[in-house]
Amino acid sequence: MSVRVNPRLIKELEDFGAEDVSKCYHCGNCSAACPFSDDPVIFPRRAMRYLQMGASSRLRTTLSPWLCYYCGECSEQCPRGAEPGETMMSLRRWLTSQYDITGISSWMYRSWQNQILFMVLLAVLTGVGLVYYGFNFGGGSLSVYEGEQAFLPHHFVHIFDWVMGGVIFTLLGINMLRMWYFLMRGDTARPVPLGSYISSIFLLPIHFLTQKRFSECGNKQPWKMHMMIMFGYTIMLVLIVFFLPLMQEGYNFAAHFFGYLASAGLLIGLTWALRGRLNKTLTFQQKSHHSDWVFTGMLLFLAVTGVIQHVLHRMGLPYAANLAYIVHLSGVVCFEVSQVPFGKWAHLAYRPLAMYYAHLQKESWAAGVATYDGKLPATSGAAD
Amino acid sequence: MAEERIGVYVCCCGTNIAKVVDVESLAEEMKDLQGVSIARTYKYMCSNPGQQMITDDIKEHNLTRVVVSACSPRMHENTFRKALDRGGINPYMLEMANIREQCSWIHEDPQEATAKAKDLARGAIQRVKYHDSLASRTAKMCPATVVLGGGVAGLSAALELADSGQQVYLVERADQLGGNVARLDLTAPYLDSARDMLKDRIARVMRHENIRVMMQSEIVELKGFVGNFTSKVKTPAGEEEFEVGSVVICTGFQEFDASKIKQYGYGKLPDVITSIELEAMLRKGKVVTKSGKRPGHVTILHCVGSRDPEQHSYCSRVCCMTGLKYANEIKSAIPEVDVANLYIDMLAFGKGCEDFYKKTAEETKPMFLMHAKDKHPSIRLAGPKDDSSMIIDVKEQLSGEDLEIPTDLVVLLVGMEARDDSEQVARLLSISRDKDGWFIESHPKLDPVATTTDGVYIAGACSSPKDIPESISQARAAVARILAMIANEVITVDAVYSEVQDKLCSGCRICNSVCPYSAIEYDAEKKKSKIISEVCKACGCCAAACPSGVIYARHFTDEQVYAQIEALL
Repeated sequence: MSVRVNPRLIKELEDFGAEDVSKCYHCGNCSAACPFSDDPVIFPRRAMRYLQMGASSRLRTTLSPWLCYYCGECSEQCPRGAEPGETMMSLRRWLTSQYDITGISSWMYRSWQNQILFMVLLAVLTGVGLVYYGFNFGGGSLSVYEGEQAFLPHHFVHIFDWVMGGVIFTLLGINMLRMWYFLMRGDTARPVPLGSYISSIFLLPIHFLTQKRFSECGNKQPWKMHMMIMFGYTIMLVLIVFFLPLMQEGYNFAAHFFGYLASAGLLIGLTWALRGRLNKTLTFQQKSHHSDWVFTGMLLFLAVTGVIQHVLHRMGLPYAANLAYIVHLSGVVCFEVSQVPFGKWAHLAYRPLAMYYAHLQKESWAAGVATYDGKLPATSGAAD
Repeated sequence: MAEERIGVYVCCCGTNIAKVVDVESLAEEMKDLQGVSIARTYKYMCSNPGQQMITDDIKEHNLTRVVVSACSPRMHENTFRKALDRGGINPYMLEMANIREQCSWIHEDPQEATAKAKDLARGAIQRVKYHDSLASRTAKMCPATVVLGGGVAGLSAALELADSGQQVYLVERADQLGGNVARLDLTAPYLDSARDMLKDRIARVMRHENIRVMMQSEIVELKGFVGNFTSKVKTPAGEEEFEVGSVVICTGFQEFDASKIKQYGYGKLPDVITSIELEAMLRKGKVVTKSGKRPGHVTILHCVGSRDPEQHSYCSRVCCMTGLKYANEIKSAIPEVDVANLYIDMLAFGKGCEDFYKKTAEETKPMFLMHAKDKHPSIRLAGPKDDSSMIIDVKEQLSGEDLEIPTDLVVLLVGMEARDDSEQVARLLSISRDKDGWFIESHPKLDPVATTTDGVYIAGACSSPKDIPESISQARAAVARILAMIANEVITVDAVYSEVQDKLCSGCRICNSVCPYSAIEYDAEKKKSKIISEVCKACGCCAAACPSGVIYARHFTDEQVYAQIEALL
C-alpha cells in the first residue's frame, strides 16, 4: 500500500526533540552499530528514513523505538551528527502521543508551557479539593493527622487513590489497546496466532521486572539507575495502593522498612539521573527534552515531600505533616495523571509490551508465517 | 641510391621494452644490415642524454638517416625529429619502429616478441632509405576572430580578445546577448544574481571598439584554413564576408523537451513546469500556480532527460545544484511552503557545492526523496479529498516504499542537450560530433578547447553540459590559444601532406568527396582537383582513392611503404 507523504512530520518531530534527522544520508552505520538491531526489526536507519519522508503511517506502526534503550552507540558512530539515538527517543515521545486518544499527550509534549500549565492546574485543583474536603467532610482540623478525626483520614485517601488509579489505568489501557492495534494490526505487521500470544505471555512480567534487555547494554550504569527508580516506585505503589493504613497509622515496622527502602532507591536513583542530565554525562543525557526534566524532577519532588511528610509526622508535628501531605498528594495526582497515560511514565507499560510484541513478530517471521516486511511483498524491502 | 649511413637507436624504455624484448640482440643484429653504420641501446632514448647521443652520432659518424626503435611515433616522433634537426640533417630522415605499444606491451613470450621487434626494426630501416628531405611551410595568421554565440562563453571570449587589441566579430542569432544565462535568476552555489554577472559584460561588449556585434545573424559559410578563413555571415541587412584567422564556437545548449517523458504530463498538467519557466517566475519575484495561487507543496524533479537510458545517458552537470538553489529560492519566496527534491543521486562535486548541499539540507531542509534510475515517478491530478492539486507516485529508493507525494507545483529540472542544428554547424565548420550531438574536442583531457580542425575552437556548453565558471574558463583557454598563434604572426604547416600531380589528374573529383578535412578544391576552369596543403592532415584517403594513382602522399610514398612491407615479410 502506498504511503502518503506528510511534509510537516519532520518539523512536528522537532517539538518532540528530533532536530538533526535531515542530516542523515543513510550510510546505515547506526543500524550496524546498534547491539539490539536484529532481523526482522532493523533500526534505527529505517525509522530515520520514515521520518525524513514524512511517512507518518509507517512510523505509527513501527516497533523499533521501543526496542531502543538509547545506549548512544549509534549517535556516537554517526558521521553526519544526525543523532539517531535522540531520534529514537523523540519517536518514543511521538508514539506516546500517537497512542493517546485524547490529544493531551501531544499538546503537552509540543510545548513545555502546555505541560507546566496542565500539571499546575491538576495540582491546584487537587490541593484545593483536598483542603475543601478536609474542612467540610474530613476531620476539619489541620492539627489532627492520625485516626478517624484526621484532616485527611486514611480510608478517604485510600479510596481517593483507588479512584485515581482506576481513571489513570483506564486511560492507559485504551492507549495500550491502540498501541496493540497499530503494532500488531498495522499494514506492515506480521500475523500472529492467538496461541503465540498466550504461550509467550510470561515475557511481560519478566521484562517489566528485570528490564533484562536494558541490562544487555554495554554500559550497565543506566540500567542500575533505572532499576533503582523502577523498584522504588513499584514498591511504593504497592505499599500505597494496598497497605496505606499501615503507612499512615501507627508504626508498622515491615511496611515502613519497605517504605524506607523504596524512598532510598528513589532518592538515590533520581539524584543520580538528574545529575547526569545536568552534567550531560552520558550520550542519552546530552539533550534533555522538557518532558525529561518534568518527569525526573517531579518524581524527586514526590519522594522528597513524601519523606518530609513522614518525618514531620514522626516528629509529632501534625499541622506541618498535614500541610506536607496536601502538597505531596497534589503532586502525586498531578504527576500520575499527566505522566502515566499521557507522558513519559507510559513507557512502564509500552516497553514490556513492545518487547513481547517484538518477540511475537520475530517468531511469526522465523516460522515463515509472514515475510520480512510483514504483509508487504518480500521484494519491496530496502536494504537497511 | 647513394651510400647511406643509418643510425639505429633501440630504447629500453626503463623496463617497458627491455623486460620483454632483448634489446641488445636487436641492436646487435641491426648493425649487420646494409647501410647501418651504428646501432645502440639506451635506457631512455627520449631523455636529454638519449637525444644528445643521436645528435652527437649524426655529427661524429656523418649519419644520413636515423631509425629509433622505441614507442609509438604519436608519442615521440617530434622529439626525435628535433634531435635530427639539431644534428644537422633533415628531420624527416627519421623513421620509428614501434616496439613498445605494438610489441613489448602486448606480447608475453620474449623470444617471439624479440623476433617481431627485429622485423619491425628491419622494416623501418628499409623504409628510411627512401625518405625524402621535406620542408615545412608557413602561412600568414589573420589576427581577427569570429565568435559564434553571445552567451556567457562567447561574451568572455570576445572581451578577452578585444581587450588584447584584436578584432572580433561576435555573431549572435537572437536579438539580445546573454544566451541561456540571461534566462536565469540566481546561480548556484553562491546564489549570485545571473543578471549582475552579465549586465556589465554585455555593456562592455556593446561599446568595445574592437568588437563588432552582429545580432540576428548566422554564419553560413567558412572557407580556408587556420589563420586564413573567409567567413560568410547572414545578417538582417544581407550577407557579409570577412577574413578571420580563428573561429570560437560558443553556441551553448538547448533544454530537453520534457514532454517526451509521458509520465510527467508536461504540457498537459498546467502546474508541471520546467526549470526555465520557474526561473522566469523567480525573476519576477512571484512563484504561483497557473491559477495564480501560492503553492503549498512544491516538488523539484531532478534528472529530467538526463541519466535516463531512454533519453540522454549523460549527466547534465548543473541540475543538482540548481535543484538545491530552487529549494532555497522557493522557501525564501514562500516561507510556509513544503519543498521536496526528488532525485536519483545528489551530485555535489565542485567548489562550494558540497557546502551548499549541507547548508541546504540542514537549514532550508527540503525533503530529499530518491527514486530509481530506471523507474520514472508519475504525476497525476489529486482527488477532491487531497490537500494538494497533484500527487506524485514514486518508488522511493532508500526505504523501498511506494510513496504518494502531495504537490501543487512540479519543477522539472530539464537537462542540457546539443542544439538541434549542431549537425549543420558541425558540417559547416568541418568539426565532429559525438553520439549525443555534442562537438568533439581534439583531446578530451589534453586539448579540450581545440577541435579536429585547426583554428576552430569550442568553448562552453556546446561540447558537453557545463556550468558558468567552466564555460568562461574554456572561452579564455580558447583565447589563449588564439593569442599565441597571433603572437607568432605566421603559422607553420607540417611538411607531410598530399599533392595532386596536376598534369595527370583527370578531374574525376573522387578525392574531393573522400577528403574528411575538406582540404581538396576543384578548379572548374582547369578541370583538376587541388589539395590545400595547409588544411591537409595527410590521412592518405585521397591517395588511396585516386583511380589514376596520381595523388602523391608525401612521406607515405609507394616505394617507402613497399620497402617496409618487403622487409617485414
